[in-house]
Amino acid sequence: MTSMGRFFDGESGQRLDVGLAVDAAAQTLRLEHPDLPMGSQYWPLDAIRALADHARDDQLVLSLRADVALDSALIRTARLTVNDPDMIIVLTRLCPNLKRRDLERGTGRRVVTRIGLAVGALALMIFVILPAMASTLATLIPIEREIAYGKTVVNQMERFLGGKTVGGLVCTNADGVAALEAMTDRLTDAGDLTYDLNIAVFDHEMVNAFAAPGGQIVLMRGLIDKAKSPDEVAAVLAHEIGHVEARDTTRNALRAAGSAGLLALVLGDFAGGSAVVVVAEYTLNASYTREAEAAADVFALEMLDRSGTDAAALATFFDSLDDLEKTLPDLPVYLSSHPETVDRAQAARDFARSQGLTNPILNDGEWAALQNICKD
Amino acid sequence: MSSQIQGRYLGKGGPLFRLYLITSLLTLITVGIYRFWAKTRIRKYIWSATTGDDDSFEYTGTGLEKFLGFLVAIVILAVYLGIVQMVLFYFGLNLFTEPTSQGQELAQLGAIYITLLAVLPLMLFAQYRARRYKMARSRWRGIRFGMENGAWGYAARALGYYLLNMITLGLLNPLVSFRLEKYMADRSWFGDAQFEQTGRWQDLYAGMKHVFIGLAIIIVGAVLLGLLAAGGGVAGAIVGGIAIFVGYIWLLIGLVYYRVYAFNYLTGHKVLDGAVTFEAHLETGKIIGIVVVGTIVISVVMGVILAIVGGVVAAMASTMAGAGVGDFGGGSIAVGILLAVLYIGAFLVAGGLGLVMITQPVIEHAVNNVTVHNADHLNTIQQRAADAGADAEGFADALDVGGAI
Repeated sequence: MTSMGRFFDGESGQRLDVGLAVDAAAQTLRLEHPDLPMGSQYWPLDAIRALADHARDDQLVLSLRADVALDSALIRTARLTVNDPDMIIVLTRLCPNLKRRDLERGTGRRVVTRIGLAVGALALMIFVILPAMASTLATLIPIEREIAYGKTVVNQMERFLGGKTVGGLVCTNADGVAALEAMTDRLTDAGDLTYDLNIAVFDHEMVNAFAAPGGQIVLMRGLIDKAKSPDEVAAVLAHEIGHVEARDTTRNALRAAGSAGLLALVLGDFAGGSAVVVVAEYTLNASYTREAEAAADVFALEMLDRSGTDAAALATFFDSLDDLEKTLPDLPVYLSSHPETVDRAQAARDFARSQGLTNPILNDGEWAALQNICKD
Repeated sequence: MSSQIQGRYLGKGGPLFRLYLITSLLTLITVGIYRFWAKTRIRKYIWSATTGDDDSFEYTGTGLEKFLGFLVAIVILAVYLGIVQMVLFYFGLNLFTEPTSQGQELAQLGAIYITLLAVLPLMLFAQYRARRYKMARSRWRGIRFGMENGAWGYAARALGYYLLNMITLGLLNPLVSFRLEKYMADRSWFGDAQFEQTGRWQDLYAGMKHVFIGLAIIIVGAVLLGLLAAGGGVAGAIVGGIAIFVGYIWLLIGLVYYRVYAFNYLTGHKVLDGAVTFEAHLETGKIIGIVVVGTIVISVVMGVILAIVGGVVAAMASTMAGAGVGDFGGGSIAVGILLAVLYIGAFLVAGGLGLVMITQPVIEHAVNNVTVHNADHLNTIQQRAADAGADAEGFADALDVGGAI
C-alpha cells in the first residue's frame, strides 16, 4: 500500500509531500522524500498515534509516540497528515495503538501528591488561618466602630423584614419595654459584661432572635408568642448575650469576608454547579458556627444559673423548636442555623438538674406586658 | 504553495454538539473536575477545524496539566484573597459611622464590596496568562506559537488604561484597545518569527462612529423627553421615549461594529517577521445575524423544554391527587428528580446550542475572512523553544476569565 502524505518535521515550517508505504511484514510505515535525512524515515506501526478530537473525518493527523511529559509544551514531535481514504483505512486497521494516550511514568503519583497538597493547603487556610485571623481582628476593632457596624446590620435586617424607617419595626409598648429591661437586669446583674446591651423586639412573626456586633440583640415577636414561659425568652436572650460577649458575629463577618467566593472558585462554573456551591457553603458555615453555638449555650446556662432562673427553660424551648421542625418541612431560620436541637436540649436538662432553687424571671404581670410589647 | 493563504474553517455543528454534551455530562458526574479535560477537548476540535492552505491547526494542551495548574493557582488565590479580603473588610469596618437614615446603611455595606477590586489585577494577570498558554499550545505546520512573559506588566497597564477610560467617559477607548492589543501582539511569536502591531490608535475612531451616533440619539431623546414632558406635550414625550429606545439599540449594534472594526484593523496591521501580512474582512451584519438567530433558536428550544416540564408536573400532580395523600412522599421525590434532570438537561442543551449556533459560527466567519499575504516566507520560519507554563492557565480557570473558548 503506497500513497502520499504531508510531513512536518516539527523543526521548520517547511511542508514535505512525502511518499508513504506500509510494510506489513516489518510492521513499519516508510516516509520517503529527498529532503529527509537519508531520504526516508521508518515509523513503527505500534508507535503511531492519531490526534484526538480531530474535527475533520477526511484526514488523519499522526504523530509518533510522544516523549511524554506532564508539560505538554515539551512534546516535540513530527506530524504526518494523511488524506488518502484507502491509506486511512489501512493505517486504522494495522496500527494497534492509534488511539492510545501515553502518560509519563509516575503521573498518578504526582497527581495524587498535588491534589493532597492543594486540599491540605486549602483546609489549613479555611479551617485554621482564616478563623484565627478573624478572631485576632475581632478583638482589635475599636468598640465604637463595632457598635456602629452592629447598628448598620440591625437596620439592614429591619429593612429586609419590611421596616419602612429606621426603628419602624421596633415594639415600643412602655410596660413591655420595662418588662424586657427587668429581665435583662436580672440576667446581667450577676456578671460584668464588656458591652452595653441594646435589646429590641421587632414586630415580626418569625420565631427567631439574632445578635449583631457591638451588643445589639433583636428578638422577634414570633419568638415571644411561641415561648411558653418568660424563662424561655430569658434563655434565648442569654444565649444571644453569649454571642455578643464572645464577639461571634463580628468574627463571623470577618471570616465570611475572608472566605467569600472561595468555594465558588474551587468548584467552578458548570451546569448545576451553583447548587453544589450553596450546599457546600452552608455545610462549611454550619461547621464554623457549631462550636460558637455550643459556647453560647454554656454561657447562657451559667447566666441563667447565676440569676436563679431555671436553666431547663432552654431545653423546653429547644423541644418546642423540635416539634416545629417535625410539623414544618420548611425550616425556620433559627432552627436551620442551630442544628442538633435534641442534643442541646439534653445538655441543658442535665445542667438544670444540678441547679438549686429557682424562680421565674418575670412575675405574671410582667410576662403579660412582655407578650403585649408590640401592642400600642 | 501559494503566496496567499485564505483561512478556512471546517468544523460542523453535529459532532461539536455531541462532544459538548458528552464532556458536560462527565463534568457533571465528576462534580466539576472533568471541566479541564472538557475545555481541552473542545479546543482540540475547534483548533483542528481551523485550516490554512489545508493544514490544520493543532492544540497540544492537555486536561491534566490544566488541572494541575489549577491546583497551584487555587492555593495561591485562596491565601491571597482570604487575607486581602479580610484585611480590607476590617479597614472598611473602621470607617463605619452610626446610620441615621434608611439607605445610608446600604451605602456603607456597599463600600465593603470594594474588596472585590482585590481580584481585578489578578483577573487581568490571568487574562494575559491564558492567552499566553493558548498560544504556547497552538501549532500550525508543526511550528509552535508563543508569547513572552509579561502578565504583570499587562495587568499594570490594563489597570491604568481602564482607569483612564473611565475618567474620560470612554472617549479614549480606541487608545486603550490599541495599546493593550499592541502590548500583547508585540510579545507574540510564531516559531522564531515575531509579530508586530503597526498602525495608529487614532485610526480606530472611525469604528466608533455608530457608538457616537447612538449616544447622540439617546441624549437628544432625553432632552426632548425632559423639555416636552415638562411642557405637557404627550406626543413629544412619546417621540423622546422612542428616540431613547432607538438610540439604545443603535448603541448596542455600534459596540459590536466597533469590536469588528477594531479586529479587522488590528489584524490588518499585524506583521510577522517583518514580511508576512494579514487581512481581515469580518462583517458586523453577519455576526449580529448569527447572534440574533442563535438567541432566538435557543430561546424557543428552552421554551419547549420548559413547557414539557410544566406539562409533566401538572400530569404528576393530578395523578397524585387521585392516589391520595399517603403516596405523596414517594411521588414528590420522583417528580423532584425528574425536574432536576430536565433542568440540568435544558442547561446542557442550551450551552451546547450556544456553542454550535453562536460561538462556532462566529469563529467560522472570522477564520474564513482572514487572508495571509506573502505566505511563502512562512517556509523559512524555524521552531522556537518550548514555553514551559507551570500553572497552565490555572488562574484563568479559577477566576473564570478568558471568554467562550
